Amino acid sequence: MNDLNSTQWMSKQSNQQWFRKIASYLLLTFIAFLFIAPILFMIVGSLKPDELVLSQASTLKAFIPQQTSLQNYRDVFERVKFERFFFNSLFINSTIVLLGLIVNSLAGYAFARLRWRGRSLLLLIVIALMILPFEAIAVPLFFQFTFLGLRNTYTAQIVPFIANAFSIYLFYTFFADLPKELEEAARVDGASPFQTFVEIIVPVSKPVFATVAILTFLSEWRSFLWALMITIDEKVRPLPLAIATFQTLPPIQWGDIMSFGVMMVAPILVVFLLFQKWFVKGVASTGTKG
Amino acid sequence: MIEQKTRKLNDDTRVAISMAAPALTGLFLFVVLPFALALVLSFTNLRLGSPLPIQFWGFEQYRRIWLDPSFRQALLNNALFALVVVPIQTTLALGLALLLNRPLKGMAVFRTLFFMPVVFPMALVSVIWTIIYAPGADGMMNAFLKFMTLGFWQPRDFLHDPALALPALMLLSIWQGVGFQMVIVLAGLQSIPISLYEAARVDGSDRWNQFRYITLPQLRNTLIFVVLVTTILSFRLFDSVRIMTNGGPGDATTTVMNEAIKAAFDQQKMAKGSAITVTFFLIVLVITLLQRLLVQEERTIE
Amino acid sequence: MIQILRRLSILTPLLLCLSGCRSNATQEGTIQVWVHTGQAAERQTIEQQVDRFNASQTEAKVALTFIPEGSYNAQLQSASVSKDLPDVVELDGPSVYNYIWQGNLIAIDPLLSPQIQQDLLPSILNQGTYKGRLYSVGTFDSGLGLYARRSRLEAAGVRIPKGNQDAWTAQEFNQVLVALAKQDPDRQVLDLKLNSRGEWYSYAFLPLIYSAGGRVDQPSVDRFLNSSSAVFAMQQIQGWIQKGYVDPNVDDASFASGRVALAWGGHWDYQTYAKAAGNDLVLLPLPNFGNGSKTAQGSWSWGITTNSKQPKVAARFLEFLLQPDEVLAIATANSAVPGTKRATAQSKLYAKGGPLSLFSSQLLAGQTVSRPQTPAYPVITSTFEQAFADIRNGLDVKTTLDKAATAIAIDLQDNQGYPDVHSVSYLPIFGLTSSKSENHDRAENTKTQR
Repeated sequence: MNDLNSTQWMSKQSNQQWFRKIASYLLLTFIAFLFIAPILFMIVGSLKPDELVLSQASTLKAFIPQQTSLQNYRDVFERVKFERFFFNSLFINSTIVLLGLIVNSLAGYAFARLRWRGRSLLLLIVIALMILPFEAIAVPLFFQFTFLGLRNTYTAQIVPFIANAFSIYLFYTFFADLPKELEEAARVDGASPFQTFVEIIVPVSKPVFATVAILTFLSEWRSFLWALMITIDEKVRPLPLAIATFQTLPPIQWGDIMSFGVMMVAPILVVFLLFQKWFVKGVASTGTKG
Repeated sequence: MIEQKTRKLNDDTRVAISMAAPALTGLFLFVVLPFALALVLSFTNLRLGSPLPIQFWGFEQYRRIWLDPSFRQALLNNALFALVVVPIQTTLALGLALLLNRPLKGMAVFRTLFFMPVVFPMALVSVIWTIIYAPGADGMMNAFLKFMTLGFWQPRDFLHDPALALPALMLLSIWQGVGFQMVIVLAGLQSIPISLYEAARVDGSDRWNQFRYITLPQLRNTLIFVVLVTTILSFRLFDSVRIMTNGGPGDATTTVMNEAIKAAFDQQKMAKGSAITVTFFLIVLVITLLQRLLVQEERTIE
Repeated sequence: MIQILRRLSILTPLLLCLSGCRSNATQEGTIQVWVHTGQAAERQTIEQQVDRFNASQTEAKVALTFIPEGSYNAQLQSASVSKDLPDVVELDGPSVYNYIWQGNLIAIDPLLSPQIQQDLLPSILNQGTYKGRLYSVGTFDSGLGLYARRSRLEAAGVRIPKGNQDAWTAQEFNQVLVALAKQDPDRQVLDLKLNSRGEWYSYAFLPLIYSAGGRVDQPSVDRFLNSSSAVFAMQQIQGWIQKGYVDPNVDDASFASGRVALAWGGHWDYQTYAKAAGNDLVLLPLPNFGNGSKTAQGSWSWGITTNSKQPKVAARFLEFLLQPDEVLAIATANSAVPGTKRATAQSKLYAKGGPLSLFSSQLLAGQTVSRPQTPAYPVITSTFEQAFADIRNGLDVKTTLDKAATAIAIDLQDNQGYPDVHSVSYLPIFGLTSSKSENHDRAENTKTQR
């Protein structure tokens, strides 16, 4: 492009391209600003004195740190047991993800690679269950757990979410596409289906495990409805509910609320930035179903 | 040989069932059973905590919710939400995906930024946007709109204004959700064979025609998926409603899920909540079947 | 495979153990107490009171759980089904009767010393009494009146009532609004706190119906929401709104910022208003709609649940909270009317001549009306709130109130008129029975032991 010997026509063409490029970047930057403005507002607000958060929200100062301090963060820890909420969320979600991976991959494998009576009927049922969103069973599930006396427990927040029809389906489609020859040798050697699964299938299936893990974690980290209904106090309350209650806890101090928000989202944001390829793949894979 | 095969099949059955059992038991206990329970409860008058004996009420709960102005408003709000959000969000997702699907440097960075709101929990986002929607000239959204309209915008109280509360929730939903759909569309775009475009270019078709006759038809299934998932999400709307408006002002932002939780959790009317739940499921079912129908249709055309 | 299943099955006890980590409702030596998450000062005071109680005796330790106000009743109701109710619960005014009806509270008159009971304000005793037994005690009561800026009233040349006996009549109140509006550029002179949600409407406006000669506690022609007195009272309010005298109060600051001269307000508004208006602030009774000026009463109160294994110890805690010093501590924190006579006499705000003595005198003189004392109250209040919204939005008053009355009547019918139920298995179709009967027996036992 910088070639001085290029013809007039060429340079005009490249100029035009260059303009278009600049315009694209400007447009993208503007859109990107709209997307991250609320996030930036939160991060910057968390570092400001409470009274400046609202009073500067109408100017660009909303996005510029001022009188920076970590006071709001200290306040959060003083006013509520943030570490407790954080542990609750982490514990609940990791357990769901871990047990979910085991339980659902086993089922996915059984559906994909084993021949057994009832297989197609059960598979059909599992696929049908995928369309049932959690909201459609939240009310009776609430009744179930209330009646069992299991409100305000980790159990109530973990056990119902381990088995997941969509995870089974993702495992099923992935395993079904693996070449048959993979297991044949092992089966001939007399290995049980389970050994075959652990030793041969799992090592080549890391992508699907990563996808399922991320999708599960992402959806559970956000769950608010169930926590609202089933938890009573802070001993087992997870972060999404905790911030909603913190928001209404007088005195209402927006700087504190934003610090809470930053600390709540920071870990998942770090994980996202490190593994974003998998996030994107995971999300994209939801679109290829059906 | 045949004998051996049958034996092997039997072996598999035992092993397969034990492998699938934990997941299937879980699905039965926490998906199938509750749903069956909802169906049963919706025909009763069960109220949590009431010392009176439970009665069979037939379709009375369904009759009542259909006559309930709040529930009707909720259905209408969900439908309105879908009607506005689905086209805007899908178009935006497609637009952003097209913008990003170009061989320019730094596209991955922009993709990350557009996708970022998706990893934020709705509860957190709702809290932050409550501040953004603060009433008065100090509010960020009010200031932004004033700037965009060159000073014509008069400050409003978005979340307490019957005319603006629902649109405010819509905007938040679009902001939070469009990245998700964008990634799906982007994956769809990238799966279109390049050869199709090359052939079109040889034929001398311009960019618009390429979009019109290659991109859109190739994206058909992806877009149908995106549209229907967004529609279902519109009917599942709850977190932001509960946190930002609690269904108000009046019933201006109430939703089907909000009505279900209000009945079952806030008012202990378990039977009414169950009837709303079952109705909600039927709506989702219809939308899903619609998707199946549309996708199938395309397959038969092929 | 089976080995693996076995290995997996190790997880099961782990999961079950997790359920063991939950907060168990009652434990010997610990009194579990549920409180709503109020204002910061109120919260701190309760925490300090609990510390003082714990330090004052060795019998039991009180453990507090704060529950957000938004889902407080929902949590309590669900806990009663899952047998998770704590020993002591805080209940918002009239919601107490529904809990009593459900069999969740024990009668506490045998558990509290007679001196303590005699010291309670009549309104507190009234609020806690259902069918002749005392079930709950409040440490503070509430006050409702008209806050005004004296200078504006004087400028408009209107008469300023001196007390309950010479409150403005309905006609006079309308003239006051007209006179004030003439002085006001936007003609909005009255704040009814239309930005509020929930309990405010029943609390603040049902007294007007009583003042007009009606009642709202029985489904009959003259004692129900659609009686002619109720229609008259609500038409007055609709008139004020439709004539443009009422500020929508979107920013919750219409009176404090000086936009309006008159504000319908509770005791909890006093601090803010006193700061904003200073010496210009005057507290007036609500208008008299014909049957004398009436005002509201009732606030949060304490009850002991049927789930409690140590009701006597729990009662010690309530007695502790009702000591004059403790009553004053909480009433100072939220500037409410102290719940006992002794404490009221010592209160700077409420003693004779104090700036809020109107509230205490109204309570002591019995000019306050309680909200309907029935298990149907939750339905009555939510229906009335809806009706108020419709009336505000201009719907016909009579039609709206008829509709509301029908809705309440249907609820009464659905619940068979809330009959006294002692022990029923309430889920016969699932073959499950509740242990309500046990709880009742326990409550009866406590009574007979005395």
